[in-house]
Amino acid sequence: MAKQYDVLFRLLLIGDSGVGKTCLLCRFTDNEFHSSHISTIGVDFKMKTIEVDGIKVRIQIWDTAGQERYQTITKQYYRRAQGIFLVYDISSERSYQHIMKWVSDVDEYAPEGVQKILIGNKADEEQKRQVGREQGQQLAKEYGMDFYETSACTNLNIKESFTRLTELVLQAHRKELDGVRTRASNEMALAELEEDESKPEGPANSSKTCWC
Amino acid sequence: MKSPSRPFPVGTSLLRSNHCSESWRRGLVLPFLKWRNLLARKQNARLDKQNDLGWKLFGKLPLRENAQKDSKKIQKEYEDKAGRPSKPPSPKQNVRKNLDFEPLSTTALILEDRPANLPAKPADEAQKHRQQYEEMVVQAKKRELKEAQRRKRQLEERCRLEESIGNAALTWNNEILPNWETMWCSRKVRDLWWQGIPPSVRGKVWSLAIGNELNITHELFDICLARAKERWRSLSTGGSELENEDASFPAADREASLELIKLDISRTFPNLCIFQQGGPYHDMLHSILGAYTCYRPDVGYVQGMSFIAAVLILNLDTEDAFIAFSNLLNKPCQMAFFRVDHGLMLTYFAAFEVFFEENLPKLFAHFKKNNLTPDIYLIDWIFTLYSKSLPLDLACRIWDVFCRDGEEFLFRTALGVLKLFEDILTKMDFIHMAQLLTRLPDHLPAEEFFACIATIQMQSRNKKWAQVLAALQKDSRETEKGSPPPRH
Repeated sequence: MAKQYDVLFRLLLIGDSGVGKTCLLCRFTDNEFHSSHISTIGVDFKMKTIEVDGIKVRIQIWDTAGQERYQTITKQYYRRAQGIFLVYDISSERSYQHIMKWVSDVDEYAPEGVQKILIGNKADEEQKRQVGREQGQQLAKEYGMDFYETSACTNLNIKESFTRLTELVLQAHRKELDGVRTRASNEMALAELEEDESKPEGPANSSKTCWC
Repeated sequence: MKSPSRPFPVGTSLLRSNHCSESWRRGLVLPFLKWRNLLARKQNARLDKQNDLGWKLFGKLPLRENAQKDSKKIQKEYEDKAGRPSKPPSPKQNVRKNLDFEPLSTTALILEDRPANLPAKPADEAQKHRQQYEEMVVQAKKRELKEAQRRKRQLEERCRLEESIGNAALTWNNEILPNWETMWCSRKVRDLWWQGIPPSVRGKVWSLAIGNELNITHELFDICLARAKERWRSLSTGGSELENEDASFPAADREASLELIKLDISRTFPNLCIFQQGGPYHDMLHSILGAYTCYRPDVGYVQGMSFIAAVLILNLDTEDAFIAFSNLLNKPCQMAFFRVDHGLMLTYFAAFEVFFEENLPKLFAHFKKNNLTPDIYLIDWIFTLYSKSLPLDLACRIWDVFCRDGEEFLFRTALGVLKLFEDILTKMDFIHMAQLLTRLPDHLPAEEFFACIATIQMQSRNKKWAQVLAALQKDSRETEKGSPPPRH
C-alpha cells in the first residue's frame, strides 16, 4: 500500500487554560468552531496531513491541559515534540505574562532544536483586547520566534500558523529532508522515518536531531 | 436526598436546546424516560407529517392542509374508476391515532390516469401499472408494519426496563437502605449493585458508600461557601488585597483558581446546557467548587473536579454533594491525582500495567511497541472518573461499582475499555489508538462493556490490586532513598 504521507511530525499546543488551544486545533483539523468547548484534561490528539514544499507531512498534534497543576504531567510530553505552539489570549494579560514561564519550561524539557511559534489567539475580540499586537511581536522577537495573531472563531491565520510551524520543523530537519527528496521515488525509505514511535525515548535519544 | 424521585428539571431545557439529540445521548437516560417518550412522540409526529408531504409530492398533488383526507378521496375515486366497490372507510382508520400498529401514509400513494389531453393507456399497460401500484402499496405497508413492530418491541423493552428499575428501587428502599450496615456487603446486594443503582436511590447509596470520614457538616459547608463568596466579592470589586490568612497560597494563585472555576463551569458538560451561566445547576456547581477551595486550600481547584462535582449534583442536594465530593477527593487515589503527586501517579500507572499485561498480553505488547503509555489515556479517565469520556448514564453505572469496589474498579474499567476495543486497537498505530482512547465513541454497548469489565481479573500471581500497588510503592520509596531517582 502506498504511504499516505512522507514524514511524520509531532506538534504540541501549550498555554494557559482557556486561551483557545482546543479551538485552534478544531478549526485547523476539522474547520469547526464551538464557543462552548469541554475542558481538556491531560492530553488530546488530532492529526492532519498537509503538503509543504511538495512533501506530504502528517502532523500529530498534542493538545494539552493548560492548568498549572497539570504541567508536571504535560512537561513529559515536550520531549516528544518537534514543534511547539505557545498560545496566549489577547484579551488576557495574564496569559501573555505566563508565556515567559512556558518558554522556560520548553527550554528545560523539550529537545534541543525544537521549533517554537507564538500565537496570540482570540484576535476577533478586539474590544476586550488587553495585549497589543506590538507586545506580541516584541515578545516573539525576544525569543526568536515567529508570531501570529489568530482567531479560531473567524478562521484568521489558523492554516497559516500551522503551515508555518510545519515549515520551520521541516527546515530544521533539512538534512534528513534532503535524504527524503533524493529518495523521493522510493516509498520504502520514507516510511522508515515514521517508525520512531517504537524506539525508546530516553533523554539520550531525544537530544539528537532525529525525527522523534 | 430528600424525595425518592427527584424530578429532573433538565428535560425542558433539553427539548429547547439546539443540541437536543446530543444532550440526549449524553443524558442520564433513566430519569428521562418520560421525556424521551415525549420527545419520540413529537419526532414521530413530525416524521408522519414529512411522510405525508413526501407522498403528496409523489402524487403530484397540490399542497393542502389535510393531505390524508385528500388522498382518501382520490383513492376512492380511483377505486370507483377501477370498477371495484368502494368500501366505507374502515373504523380502524378513525382510531389510527391511538394505534401504533396501523400503517400510516401508504394510502397517499396515488395511481392516476393519464391527463385527458393525452391518449389513454392501452388496457394491458394500464393493467400492468395497476399491478405495480398494488405491489408498491403492499411493500410499503409491509415496511411500515415492520417499523411499527420494531417500535412496539422497543416500547415493551422500555417498559420492562422501567419495571425492573421500579422493582430494584423498591428493594433498595425497603430492604437494603434501612439495613445498610449489615446488608451492603452481602452477596445479594453486591449482585444487585452491579446491575446499576436505580436513579431514585443512587445519590443515597453513593453517599452511604463514600461515607463521611471527614465529618463534614452542612454548617461547615455553609461556612466555606460564605468564605468563597467573600472572595468572589472582593475579586469583582477589584480589591485583590485579601487578608493574609493563608500566606502560603498567594492571592494571585487563588484569584487564578477562582477565575478558572468560572471558566470551567461553562465547559462542564456543555451539551447538557444546565451548568452554564443561567442554567439551573450553575450556582450549585459554582458553590461546591468554591467552597472546596476554601475547605482545602492545599489542594485547591484542579481541572477535572468540575465534572465530578457535576455528576454528584445530578444525584444529590448541594450540601450532600459537597460532603460526598470532599470525601471522594480525599481517597488515596484521588488525592494522588488531584495533587499531581507525579511519583505516586507513576506507581498507579505501573500497577495498572501489571494487570494490563496479565489480562491482555497481546494488546499490552502492542501498546509497548507503539510507546503508548497509560498516562495518555488514564489521566482523563481517572481525573474525571469517566464522566467526561463515557456517556453519562454509563459513567454513573461505573460510579456505582466504583463506590462499591473502590479505586481498583477505576483501573478495572480502563482494562474493560481496552478489552472492548482490543481487536481494533491491535490494528492501529499510535495516533489512531491515542485518538480513540482519548475520545471514546459516543455509543458504547453497555451490556457488552460491562461483560468485558467482568472478564478482567484483578488478581496477579495471587496478589490483589492493593498488594501490587503497595509493593510498587515500597519499591519506589526504596529507590528514592537509595540512589537519586531517575528523571521520568
